[in-house]
Amino acid sequence: MLDKKEFESLKKYAREIRQTVLSIIVAAHASHIASSYSIVELIVYLYEKILKIDPKNPQDPNRDRFILSKGWGISTLYTILARKGFFEKKLLDTYCQDGSKMIGIATRNGTPGIEATTGSMGHGLPIGVGMALAGKLQKREYRVFVMTSDGECDEGSTWEAILQAGHHKLDNLVVIVDYNKWQSFGRVADVLDLEPFVKKWEAFKWSVKEIDGHSFEEISQVFSRLPFEKGKPSIVIAHTIKGKGVSVLEDRNEWHYRTPTEKEIKIAESELGL
Amino acid sequence: MRTAFLNTLVDLMRVNEDIISLTADMGFSVFEDVEKEFPERFLNTGVTEQSTIGIATGLALCGYKVFFYAQAPFATMRCFEQIRLDVAYNHVNVKIIGVAAGFSSNQLGVSHFALEDVGLMRLLPNMTIFTPGDPIEAEWATKAAYEINGPVYIRITKAGSPVIHKTQQLFHPEAGIKIKNGGKFTLFVSGSLLPMALDIVEVLSKKNAEGTLISLPVIKPINKKIILEAARKTGYIFTLEEHNIIGGLGSAVAEIIAESGRQVKFYRFGVPDKFTSITGSVQYLLEYNGLSVQQITETILKFINIS
Repeated sequence: MLDKKEFESLKKYAREIRQTVLSIIVAAHASHIASSYSIVELIVYLYEKILKIDPKNPQDPNRDRFILSKGWGISTLYTILARKGFFEKKLLDTYCQDGSKMIGIATRNGTPGIEATTGSMGHGLPIGVGMALAGKLQKREYRVFVMTSDGECDEGSTWEAILQAGHHKLDNLVVIVDYNKWQSFGRVADVLDLEPFVKKWEAFKWSVKEIDGHSFEEISQVFSRLPFEKGKPSIVIAHTIKGKGVSVLEDRNEWHYRTPTEKEIKIAESELGL
Repeated sequence: MRTAFLNTLVDLMRVNEDIISLTADMGFSVFEDVEKEFPERFLNTGVTEQSTIGIATGLALCGYKVFFYAQAPFATMRCFEQIRLDVAYNHVNVKIIGVAAGFSSNQLGVSHFALEDVGLMRLLPNMTIFTPGDPIEAEWATKAAYEINGPVYIRITKAGSPVIHKTQQLFHPEAGIKIKNGGKFTLFVSGSLLPMALDIVEVLSKKNAEGTLISLPVIKPINKKIILEAARKTGYIFTLEEHNIIGGLGSAVAEIIAESGRQVKFYRFGVPDKFTSITGSVQYLLEYNGLSVQQITETILKFINIS
């Protein structure tokens, strides 16, 4: 268990990530700020405490794999990868700019640390299943982490992969669903309800845990022992708030599309301690 | 051709431990021995073409060469977007084997016909496309698919295709195989209609219309040189394929001729751009679509005599 100081340090880290994400999204007049904010704590914790990866050897065959299947949350991942030293921080300033490889959707284009091209929904989990199968066949110890959105769980290919992973007992696979309850056009419950969500995963032979996806205490607890059960893939249903961290961005679906105005930027900067 | 593919794949798997074979629940009475011999490297992923392409990609990103086997419409069309983004974009070693292509599933209708697959695969950067026309070409294509670093589509029809070639020695990655020599016209054929093309050229030669027959088992990258040479040597070029006339061999050859600046008379024999909503033998369905030795020889003769 982490001590109080470590939790405080993680919270500070998360706030700094949100600051950078705000600045690169505003500079690029880009969208998806709220999708990037709902996953900050989860990705920070994975990269700081869980993933066995080495920025100096990003192709190590024994590395843990992290796939951001909700590829539109990429500004958070880029920011963390840059801080970890996968590439130079100044590259972040080219986010969504002319000619840049820092594309607004996770794209495996040679950017170190990006394991898969995603963002077209329902791609990340099947690829993750393939990587987990490869790990079993090659008798390697690595684990595969896939972060999906809730909207992405509408896709048939996602459920095909869920069926596959349960059937093949892939206990080296961990899925985290960013369950922020919004999808492109509206509330998940109104558009295409996923509930009873836990029971669905259980029925597909997964071991399920639910957490508050912004609580480092709960996040550290849930990842303290993997897999949750031997012989089963693990699924973390992370209840999150889209746009978490800035009052004007929180839980409003327009932030899937909009860039903050001057006034909103000032509020965000103030709340993020800039 | 299917048997030739399978035997070659098994031979390759015996020697190369980096091959994994996937099937989306296809290959009953075909894959059982493979499953027995390679229990770890053969996986039936169930009826899940879309996620299977993703799984194949994940395996390939971890160092495997993956052969994915399914009926051509489901191997290419059901999961086209996955092939585009996962396989083609990532330039991974996923080899897609589309069996029962064209009208092979002759009794099963539109759902099981694959007449658009080559066109779709041609649109994808990084994709190499093989359309073997006999068991020898199928064996060669399977071996070549393993050697090529990157995505491959192999289009094959059901078992029972006759052996046309006597040797593989002339094959190379952009193979164009000259089968007959003649000065009046050139007929390019790709895939299952190779035996029909041979009959066509033989019938025509008896009518003093001696033509050149070239098999093109590689649609992409297409052998430009052999097409331009044909345009130079013979004033008439024809193409023949069991595919929609849009997108396949005919389109590929037309694009090269059109940009060559040469004055060439050109005609595509293929399946007209409409759905075939009937059942029947393969021969019946081909003939229904204007693809028989008699119909084609008459058309070619008309072309040649008009000028």
